[in-house]
Amino acid sequence: MRDGLLDPRAVLLHESAADRDAAIRRCGQALVDVGAVAPSYVEAMLERERTISTYVGEGVAIPHGTAASKEDVERDAICVVRFPGGVDWDGEPVTLCVGIAAAGDGHVPLLAALADILLDPDRARTLREATEVSQVIKELS
Amino acid sequence: MAQRTVVVASASGLHARPAKLFVQAAVKVGVPVTIRAGEKSVPAKSMLGVLSLGAVHGTEVTLEADGPGADEALDTLAALLSRDLDAEEALDG
Repeated sequence: MRDGLLDPRAVLLHESAADRDAAIRRCGQALVDVGAVAPSYVEAMLERERTISTYVGEGVAIPHGTAASKEDVERDAICVVRFPGGVDWDGEPVTLCVGIAAAGDGHVPLLAALADILLDPDRARTLREATEVSQVIKELS
Repeated sequence: MAQRTVVVASASGLHARPAKLFVQAAVKVGVPVTIRAGEKSVPAKSMLGVLSLGAVHGTEVTLEADGPGADEALDTLAALLSRDLDAEEALDG
């Protein structure tokens, strides 16, 4: 994984959200808070989700903005936000969101690494049940 | 074994929305198709599998399938990969 994509401050492990949109807003805010995106990017993330679900399986969704919102991206970054109570994602239970801010394709190797982890049931469980920021950083490095 | 080798045309590569559209199409063709990039080969209908390929714009991928309907299935999927699915966002969004 490329250095600097995942700021430890963008790893939030004990969040809760009433619904899918609230979860996406939480992810978007995490990306805003580390200076990766402008606040308007959050609306673009919601818009993208309405167009096509970012649920990828294994209880994980990867919300991100539309192609048109790339100008709201200051730098490529991801956030990892865990919802231990689960979020109803159009009928699928989601406990982990990996929010993505990408102007180029610097995040693609990271997504590939994430997918590899999720394809391994043991590592997927470790990530979904992580309680320490260091565990998440270690799994994704 | 029928094969098609195509270059990923979507500006953002084969992840996120283009990957989703590809996987949905792979489910719909009703024939088991594998997609390979480099050494790695995964079922085309697995979102996580497809994401794990890490295919960006310009990556060459090979589609493979066997049996009745294999050629039609591969033609459909190869055609999809040859289009810039990001550029079509405004049309079906």
